Amino acid sequence: MRPILLFLLLALPVASADGKLPLKPLPKGKVAMVIQPHHDDHTTDYGMGGLIARFVDEGYDVYYVRASNDEKDGPHGYPRNDMVNYREAVAAAKVLGMKKVISLNWRNDYMNPIPLNELRNQIILLIRKYKPDVVIGHNPWEHYQKNPDHRNVGRAMAEAWWMAGLDNVLPEHKLLGMEPHQAWYLYGKARLDWGLGQRPNIAVELNAEQVRRKQTAYETHRNVYANPASARAYKAALARENLHVPEWENIDDQTAAVMMEEWHMDWISRQRGAQAGVRYAEDYYFLDEFDYLPGLQDYLAREVKRR
Amino acid sequence: MFLLSALGIAAAQQPVVLVVTADAPDYVLAAGGTIAGMAATGAAVHLVRVTNDEKDSWKLSPEETIRRATEESLAAAKILGVRDVHALGYRGYDLGGVSFTEIRDRLIFLIRHYKPTVMFIPNPYTEFDRVVDRFYTGRAAEDAWRAAALENYQPPYADAGMRPHLTPELYYYAQPHDPYRREPESTATFVPQPKFVDIAAQLDRKIRAAQAFSTSNENMARRLAERLASTGRTLPLLATVNDGSIAKLVEENVRGLAAVNAKETPHRAAEEFRYAGVEFRIPRKYRSAR
Ligand SMILES: [Zn+2]
Repeated sequence: MRPILLFLLLALPVASADGKLPLKPLPKGKVAMVIQPHHDDHTTDYGMGGLIARFVDEGYDVYYVRASNDEKDGPHGYPRNDMVNYREAVAAAKVLGMKKVISLNWRNDYMNPIPLNELRNQIILLIRKYKPDVVIGHNPWEHYQKNPDHRNVGRAMAEAWWMAGLDNVLPEHKLLGMEPHQAWYLYGKARLDWGLGQRPNIAVELNAEQVRRKQTAYETHRNVYANPASARAYKAALARENLHVPEWENIDDQTAAVMMEEWHMDWISRQRGAQAGVRYAEDYYFLDEFDYLPGLQDYLAREVKRR
Repeated sequence: MFLLSALGIAAAQQPVVLVVTADAPDYVLAAGGTIAGMAATGAAVHLVRVTNDEKDSWKLSPEETIRRATEESLAAAKILGVRDVHALGYRGYDLGGVSFTEIRDRLIFLIRHYKPTVMFIPNPYTEFDRVVDRFYTGRAAEDAWRAAALENYQPPYADAGMRPHLTPELYYYAQPHDPYRREPESTATFVPQPKFVDIAAQLDRKIRAAQAFSTSNENMARRLAERLASTGRTLPLLATVNDGSIAKLVEENVRGLAAVNAKETPHRAAEEFRYAGVEFRIPRKYRSAR
């Protein structure tokens, strides 16, 4: 066999020998920061709501940085969408147990041409203030990511995450007593239904209560989800085929829409769980503390000692 | 052969190599052995250093960091046999704020001036590399490679006597972060392919070149030691951080990289690339034997 064919076989599985994604315990720490463009990115189906709930349950303080103003999401026109989506984001964050929502208010879906270093510098300031051990957000290397906000906020986060620890980055912050601080772990999320998305390297196990909170947080975004019109549309489509959903008899469209979202969230949490051999999970591309030094991985694993 | 000579590739010609690096140590760590090997067999190697590395130091001002990084990058280049270093001088880790076309067009200038037969550029498609400058540089360099050959790009350069130039061989380099880096995404006709270079004979030279970056190496070592100390761990080598222990850590890093890249290859020490050679530009069926 030529070496190149051998590589093909060896390169494919990130999963462990039994073909399952490895379950990764949460790193030790106190603070996690979710950095994402939109009000709902942390509650949607492909993460990160369950992970956030688990961080909270394990004693972390979790902060949520919302980079855009979400003016495009919803039926009310720009200013009102912004206000409603912000209010719902605060409510959803509370369901998951997060401490605070910090809005940067860049213009929604116009983040492609923004000066990226300015966004990055805002994130660096917040990292130095809140001192996260972990950051969570869109994987900036995700394939087929169509939303420019997801891509750009991901890139700014990928730099801010470690650059906040450098002395020569924004030294004026010292005037406020803010010292350089580096977050050492990164969880990247990506949709897995748009082409390749990302190839996750870990799964995070969730319990039923964490999945339930993720469902509730998701439904809290009434401006864009759990919309009665979506239940009406499904009912009509099924009726054309002479089909119906027994659970939907005698309930209103709003309740039916919520129920549909819950089924979907339960389904996807089980799908991810099955990949890792547990009931419920989310999967991520996880960057560990010394992954930036690929040449020293084996050496550090061998030589580093507990004191 | 006809097609090859039409493209200006004379078989006997000594290679001219143009290396593009974002931060000064990037190309040494990812491609230094291969480049040293080419220089040792007579290639003329030119280096373009895109950033000034101003933030890659431990407790030094940006000004002092820039001064040292400049000296150290010249020293490393000399060890590898690189003839000259062109510094574009952009602020390190800030390329997200620099115009893509500005970087590209400056690279086109240098490509048309040096007329390389081989280029080394950062791989902008590698995944999970937290230094995004490498992505911005790689993307601009890839487009410079393409556009340098096209006459409608930068007409003023033609007025200054520079002709369009096609570089026949292109190496995309990266440190081995990406777990899928060895997976060809398509055939060589459209997509650069994985390529492995044996660097056993150049490994010592590569180690010395990497060690020349004392300033960024100290930063790496002290940050690592500080992180370990703050989490109740220790690395015996860094019990005392000094020139000797830093040099040893760098040696371990370069040997570790060579070993990771050599895994499952016939080599003892290797570098991996995505390689776009003649197959990439001219499918085999359109090429004639002599
Ligand atoms: Zn979004």
